[in-house]
Parts: sequence; structure tokens; C-alpha cells
Amino acid sequence: MKPIHFLAIAAALVVLASLPVWANQGVTFIVGLALVEAVFALSWNLLFGFTGMASFGHAAFFAIGGYLCGAGLRYATGVPFLALLGGAGALGALTAFLVGLVALRRSSGIHFAILTLALSEVLRVLIAYSTALGREDGLSAIPRPAVNLGVARLDLTSGQSYYWFLLVASALLAWVLWLVAKGPLGRVLQTIRQDPERAAFMGVDVWRYRLGAFTLSGAVAAVSGALYAPWAQIITPDSAHWIHSTQPMLASLLGGAQSFWGPVIGTILFTAINYATRTLIGLSEIVIGVVLLVIVLSAPSGVMGLLRRFESRRNRPAAAAGGGARVRAATVPTPAGEA
Amino acid sequence: MSTLLSIADIRKSYGALEVLKGVTLDVAEGETFAIIGPNGAGKTTLFRVMTGEAPCNAGTVRYAGRDVTRAPAFERVRLGMGRTFQVARIFPDFTVEENVIVAVEARRSSRGDAAAPRWFQTRPRADVRAEAMEQLERVGLADKAASDARFLSHGDKKRLEFAIALAGRPKILMLDEPTAGMSPADRMATAELIRRLRGESGLTVVMTEHDMDVIFGLANRIFVMNHGEPIACGTLDEIRANPTVQEVYLGKEMYGAEG
Repeated sequence: MKPIHFLAIAAALVVLASLPVWANQGVTFIVGLALVEAVFALSWNLLFGFTGMASFGHAAFFAIGGYLCGAGLRYATGVPFLALLGGAGALGALTAFLVGLVALRRSSGIHFAILTLALSEVLRVLIAYSTALGREDGLSAIPRPAVNLGVARLDLTSGQSYYWFLLVASALLAWVLWLVAKGPLGRVLQTIRQDPERAAFMGVDVWRYRLGAFTLSGAVAAVSGALYAPWAQIITPDSAHWIHSTQPMLASLLGGAQSFWGPVIGTILFTAINYATRTLIGLSEIVIGVVLLVIVLSAPSGVMGLLRRFESRRNRPAAAAGGGARVRAATVPTPAGEA
Repeated sequence: MSTLLSIADIRKSYGALEVLKGVTLDVAEGETFAIIGPNGAGKTTLFRVMTGEAPCNAGTVRYAGRDVTRAPAFERVRLGMGRTFQVARIFPDFTVEENVIVAVEARRSSRGDAAAPRWFQTRPRADVRAEAMEQLERVGLADKAASDARFLSHGDKKRLEFAIALAGRPKILMLDEPTAGMSPADRMATAELIRRLRGESGLTVVMTEHDMDVIFGLANRIFVMNHGEPIACGTLDEIRANPTVQEVYLGKEMYGAEG
């Protein structure tokens, strides 16, 4: 990792960790939502930006995790919160595995996208018919939990303490996804995105890697939903709505799907635009639409792609001064999709 | 010499069109085996069936004593088949070095190598990088290791694809028109490269090719097909003397090669 990237991440963590101290509750709440959405977007982009698969119904996994955790807390089942998070991940993984087992045999392209979209809509309708899950109104008044760590008890019932828990959990999930995306697994996934046939002729079992990526992505999306439920204290069928499925797509396109942190940047920008235009009903959609249009037309690789272009432009004169026209390639061996 | 690859009575149809009408051939270990034929003879389809890219309707493919007729491509690769494509297929978003690194890592993890990368070690191991550089040196691309693969010339992309295939440490190398679309100078350089690689690692080579100069310079045995059927199989001299071959195929191109 380059020093500047390390500094950027460290600075972001300091700002986020100190937020409840200097910002008001409303802002903290919105940033908490953004953290959840950022992890959700990262899980989606592991499929799209790294493996080359588009899931159009990713909100289904979010809702699965959200409802599992929400119901577990709302009905005071006594199941520990960490077990609920783990259960959400397991259920998300299992669902993704079963769907992938059938869907990925045939296709990973547009048919896969439409199939996931259809299944997520089915799930939304089923939830809306389920009385135990609150029908159209969803589950409200979800209590925030306390976590028993054996030696200590973390009381997360206050907004502040849950926010910090959310920050730590999101950072951990992002870190695991980063390891996967940047490591040997991620390199294999990227070969599958670029040319699945060539990958197969290197001895890669493409189908198994796709299924694995989808399972992991479903698990992380479900955990992000499980983190959301006690933070918003309500979960409704809208969390499985296709509009929610578009959220990680738009964030990834805006931030840059080829870059690991692109979806996070995109989520931050969306949150900022929504916040800045909150008093003008309908304006946020127009602004977001215009921003997306500009980004897609002028910088197809998103904000991160733009940043990287500036970075290489800044490096080039310095390198040229050092002598040699092809120095950039030689001195900055950037692994694919760095940052 | 033992038989490494053998196919028997391969049949393949695309809809009503029968492309392969019962093809049988044996490739011995260590030889260079060329498949030639006019356009539409079924060479590429035969190639796809042998490598596992496409299934056949009937017949068997045996490799190293095993029946691999139903085995998908990646399993055949794990057994020691390497291949290149007519139009070089590389990973354009990676650097040249990364292209080979992923191939080395793919071989190590698919064969349960103890030195296989572990998921939490994000950087490629030093010995993997060293091995990748070694392969790049063999094909003469070491000085371009850090450049983006997408900017390589057509000939260099073909070389890189060789390095990717070789990183899998194949016993048999399947080359689908290795010199297609190249300038005459590049063709000769590629033929030279194949000859050298073959000599270095005792590879068995199966290739389809249109350029007769390349074939004559490399092949031990030539297999001629037309309309999905074999017409002749033998050494260069046998093929030249064969009247059927002369009739359907040689008339035009082989004179050019001789002249």
C-alpha cells in the first residue's frame, strides 16, 4: 500500500471514529447508514468489478440479514447479537450458494442478472405477505442489543456506542473483502472477469470460483443488512426492493467499479448529495442523475479512475526528469486495480 | 515413443451440419503434429474438441491413457494440456508480469502444490514472481514485464500467451494457428520460438496452421483433412506424394512454399 493511500484510510477512520463527538445525532445517523450501504456496495462490486457478474437483486441478501437480525432482537429471542450477525451471514451465504448452484450453471451474464432480480422481487412480495414479519409495515421498534464478550459486556443500546460498533464491524468486513480482492483469490476472479475461457485454460474451475464469489458476496450483503436493522430500528420490505438493489450499482459506477474503494467513494458522494439537497424535495434525484450522467460520459472508470489519472499525470513529469520516457511503467508497478 | 493424445471416431455437428465425420488420430509423445486443410475443413472444430472447449457428439478423446472425452477444459489443463488461441487471449487489464503470475498461481493451487498462495497473502510470493519472470525471459518479453498487457503488439501478445501456457508446465502444447495474422518476419520468429521451446522442455506440440513454411519447418507428421474427414496422415514427403492431397489441397499453396 502506498503511503498516500494509508494516510487517506487512516484520516477517514479518525474522522469517522470521532464523529459522534463533534457532529449532531442526525449527521451521525446518516453516516451510520452510509457505512452499512458502503459495505453492501463493496459486496456487490466484488461480483461486478472483480468477477464480472452482475447481480440485479442484491437487496434480497440485505433484507434476509436485516429481517433475521431484526426479528431476533424484536421478539427478544435471547439469541446473542453476534450469533445473529453470524446467522445472517450464514443464511445469506446459503441462499446465494443455492441460487448460484442453479443459476450459474447456465449463465453468468444478463440471464443471471434478471434471475436474481426476479428472485429478489419474489422475496419482497413474500415478506410483504408475512404477518410475522410485519407485512408492508415491516418490523419497527427493533431494540439495540448488548453484546456479551465473556469478560466484558458492551452495551450498544445508545446511539453512540452502536455507531462505534457499526464502524468497527464495517471496517472489519471491508478489510476481509480487501484481502480477498487483492490477494490470489482476487487475481483469479479478475482473470475470470477479463476472459473466463482463458482462465479455464489455465486450469481454473471458473464455475466454482463464480459460485464462491457469489456466496461470499451474499454473506457480506446479509451481514450489512443485519447491522442495519438495529441502527435504523426498523426494517421494511423496501429493503428488498429493486430500487435498493440499484444503490450499490450506482455507487460503484460513480466511484469506479474497477477500483476496490470505488463503491465506498460512490456511497459517500451519494450520501453527501442526498444530505445537501434534503430540504428540496425531488432535487436530490435530479442532482444524482446529472452527476451520474457527467461521470459516465466523462469518466467511465468513475471517480477513482479520475483520481488515478491525475496521480499518473503528476508522477509523469517527475519521472521524466529522472530520465527515460517509459519510467512510469518501470518505477510505479501498480498491481491491477490498486486502491 | 508412446501415444500421448489419441482421438477415435470423433463426430461433431452444428445443427444439421456435420462438421467432423469420424476423425481418428494419434499423437506420439515428443512429436510435433500439424493439422492442415482448406478453410472449412473442420480443423478448428477438431481443435476445440481435443482441448475441451467444445463437446463432441460421438467418439472418444484419450490423453495420457485416460478417457477425457467428457472432461471440461480446466481438468485437461490440470492433466498437462496447454493451449493458445487463434487470436491471442491475454488479460488486458493486467501488466505483462501479472498475466504470467496468475497462470503460475493457477497451476500451483489447482495441483494442490504446497507452495500454493494463501488467500490472505495479498502479494504474489517471491518464488512465483521469479518463475513468472523466467517464463517471460524464455519468450523474450522480460523487458516489457511492467507494461500494461493491452498495449502490446500483436506479436508480443502471442508471445505472452505462450508464456501463460508454459507457466502451466504442459506436457502437450496445443497451438491454434500460432502465426495467424502475422507479418512474414514475425512468422519466422514464432516458428523459431516454438522450435526452441520444444527443444528446451521436450514438449509435444499439436498445431493447426495455414502457413506451409511454418509447417514444413516444424512438423514431424502432418494430418490433412477436408470436409470434416481425414484424407492423409504422414511425414512431409508422404503428404507431398499423396495424390488425393495434391488434388484437394496442395495445388495452390504447396507450390508457393517450394518455390
